[in-house]
Amino acid sequence: MGKADITIASRDVAVHRKPYTARLAKWSGLLRRTQEVPMLLAVAFLVIVATIINPRFLGPDNSKTLTRDTAILGIAAIGEGFAILVGHIDLSVGSLYGLGGVLIAYFIVTLGMPIALAILLTLLIMLLIGLIHGVFVTKLKMHGFLITLVTMGVARGVCLVLTKGWPIIDLPRVYNVIGQGHVFNIPVPVLIFVFTLAATFFLLRFTYIGRQIYATGGNIEAARLSGVNVDNRVILCFVISALCGGLVGMIQAGRLTIGHPGAGAGYELSAIAACIVGGLSFAGGQGSVLGIAVGAALIGVLQNAMIMLNVSPYWHQIVIGFVLLIAIAFDYVRRRRV
Amino acid sequence: MDNQPMLKMEHISKRFPGVQALDDVKFEVYPGEIVGLVGENGAGKSTLIKILSGVYSRDQGEIWFRGQKVEIRSPQEAQMLGISTIYQELALVPHLSVAENLFLNREPRRLPALGIVDFGRMKRDAQAVLADLGVEISPDQLVKELTVSGQQMVEVAKAVSRRAHLVLMDEPTSALSSKEVDALFAVVRRLKERGVSVVFISHRLEEILQVVDRIIVMRDGRRVGGLSIEEATQEKIIRLMVGRDVAIFHKEKAEIGKPVLEVRHLSGKGLVKDVSLVVHRGEIVGLGGLVGAGRTELARLICGADPRTGGQILIDGQEVDIRSPADALKYGIGFVPEDRKLHGLVLGMDVKENITMAILRRISGWLAVIRARRQKQIAEHYVNTLSISTPSLSQLVRNLSGGTQQKVVVAKWLSAQQKVLIMDEPTRGIDVGAKAEVHALMSRLAKEGMGILMISSEMPELIGMSDRVIVMCQGRVTGEFRREEITQESVMACATQFIAVSSSEEIALQE
Repeated sequence: MGKADITIASRDVAVHRKPYTARLAKWSGLLRRTQEVPMLLAVAFLVIVATIINPRFLGPDNSKTLTRDTAILGIAAIGEGFAILVGHIDLSVGSLYGLGGVLIAYFIVTLGMPIALAILLTLLIMLLIGLIHGVFVTKLKMHGFLITLVTMGVARGVCLVLTKGWPIIDLPRVYNVIGQGHVFNIPVPVLIFVFTLAATFFLLRFTYIGRQIYATGGNIEAARLSGVNVDNRVILCFVISALCGGLVGMIQAGRLTIGHPGAGAGYELSAIAACIVGGLSFAGGQGSVLGIAVGAALIGVLQNAMIMLNVSPYWHQIVIGFVLLIAIAFDYVRRRRV
Repeated sequence: MDNQPMLKMEHISKRFPGVQALDDVKFEVYPGEIVGLVGENGAGKSTLIKILSGVYSRDQGEIWFRGQKVEIRSPQEAQMLGISTIYQELALVPHLSVAENLFLNREPRRLPALGIVDFGRMKRDAQAVLADLGVEISPDQLVKELTVSGQQMVEVAKAVSRRAHLVLMDEPTSALSSKEVDALFAVVRRLKERGVSVVFISHRLEEILQVVDRIIVMRDGRRVGGLSIEEATQEKIIRLMVGRDVAIFHKEKAEIGKPVLEVRHLSGKGLVKDVSLVVHRGEIVGLGGLVGAGRTELARLICGADPRTGGQILIDGQEVDIRSPADALKYGIGFVPEDRKLHGLVLGMDVKENITMAILRRISGWLAVIRARRQKQIAEHYVNTLSISTPSLSQLVRNLSGGTQQKVVVAKWLSAQQKVLIMDEPTRGIDVGAKAEVHALMSRLAKEGMGILMISSEMPELIGMSDRVIVMCQGRVTGEFRREEITQESVMACATQFIAVSSSEEIALQE
């Protein structure tokens, strides 16, 4: 009987609200088409306000911090974006950020491995983690939320076990270039971000693999019945997400010259927020990597502005949480049209 | 039988977007009467029942129940009036006991202020109700441990304990073995003795004739006849169910070639058991039957969407091992699913990408980059040849009409150069003009040498378009007709032929 009630209720809603939804649709249609523009305006607005209140916001010191932070968030968000594109979510990004930093420091400092080997090995482990996520999601039909929640806990635990709770310090200077260095006066993390962005744009826009990822996210059954190997596409997305998470950790370790077991705690919140603010939908199959970049810029600037404007750090997560809430609300409003 | 009806519904109409589900329907039930409500899929039986049980609201008409004019605005109101419905999907809580389910939300209380349940009384009351119906189920048993028929009995008991005057049953026997059906009928007869009326929806004519007093036949949203049990025969009922005059579409003559798709003894995990069929080049084979006969399941087995548990599939006489839709694509089988929006298209992608969905990989070059110009050419070609009416290739398919969307799905398989097309209800939900276009297209494809397996629940379509019709019932083939032999009556007879063998096999398995 309960089931029947619900049908009635939703039918009634559908009937009564028709004019509203029509209006809503018009608005959200407008919003959707030009999503990146108002977001960029919002970023500009934030920058201007922050600069007026604290002129040092765009000064040389802070702009370096700002671009690096934003670039790093951008990489994590792009990874997260792949998981969201296929209709899932990756909660392990923050913990893999921590694990990436700890592993690289552990391999180089504690085990004395050559740097190149250490990087390769760390990335390989990330790849394996992503593969495991993907296999659980596709073969056991588990939602990505669950398996990555497990990794979120386990990866953080591995960080603590490997470091016994203390940061591994004194990463060699050569390695630290990845976080601190410059090429033609452009910070290396920014270069890595730009490369990730370009590669992702290429993959998603021009290759059949990218289009199949969109198709899988948009309608997995239709894609499957069209002969698309949807399992492999989903697995690939989780692998990329894990790789990006680990990469961010490695960059941050170089930047701070340490592998910190607590690094990146709660970072998935920012990464997910950047994606949804940037126009990705939790329904999957919608949004672009450029949107993610803009979303990351917005979150990055917001976080940095809060520091520069002396907002207590205790408040940061609350603010980001609310930004995410607004973005999700928009996502759901947009989806009602469909 | 009293001459005053217990329930009287008059001039009931109900419209859904695009469909007149009920059109000026009259329906009446007398006290202690068992009425069978029959009709093809989409005839409006379920809609009528749902209006009566408060799930849908009617657009027009009046309802009198026990001498009073009533409004039934919700299932609760129906319940309060004494109208209980037993749905196909049972509405019981699996982890609670039979007694708890019977008295859900009206549990006898011991200390009313504290809300403590009087389990002793509940159990005794439950036992009384069950015994009264002649049902041997312990009130302590958990509902999830019962068989489907046992759960149904609990549903009936629940209705009785709520003092229902009228019990509505939608396809109650579809999941039961013949033994269980007999038990259900025994309970129904007891209800009748106590003056409770029952309305039965069923496709199983043979069965329904054993128990009802009167049959009401519906077709296309109208009541087309009422027969008392004395005058009702299966033939009469079937004639009423199908007899209509709708334009019949005709497939053009095409040269029938060699077998292109052969299926031998195919079985799946679900309904489909031991199905064999052949489709030749240039041939349209219609797959008839009622909804739930296993036709879609068969289609999904052939195209690798679901795993098959036995049997062979041959393409052009060669056995092929199809384990996924990707394999089916490789061997030249295309599948146009019934629900295009759910299974056929990616609505958020454009016409061009949907048309080339199955060949994205084939038209990609170095570094997996899609050759954009080639993609555009192909899409353009099919938009022109199938006259797909879209403002541009980059229009999202979400914004296209149903008929146009269907053509996009067909174009997807044509672009992949498939030899066999399996079309599940190819014209469902498409307006009349577009329907004719889709039929013309199918006819043309057959002429060009494609083999088409068409699932259709619409008689005119099935008869007009098929060179051969294969009828399924309960996952098995129950009849096959050449074009000259097909009649609505014969197809319907096979479709409702719930084979006795299967029930006895079921029993054998249980014992």
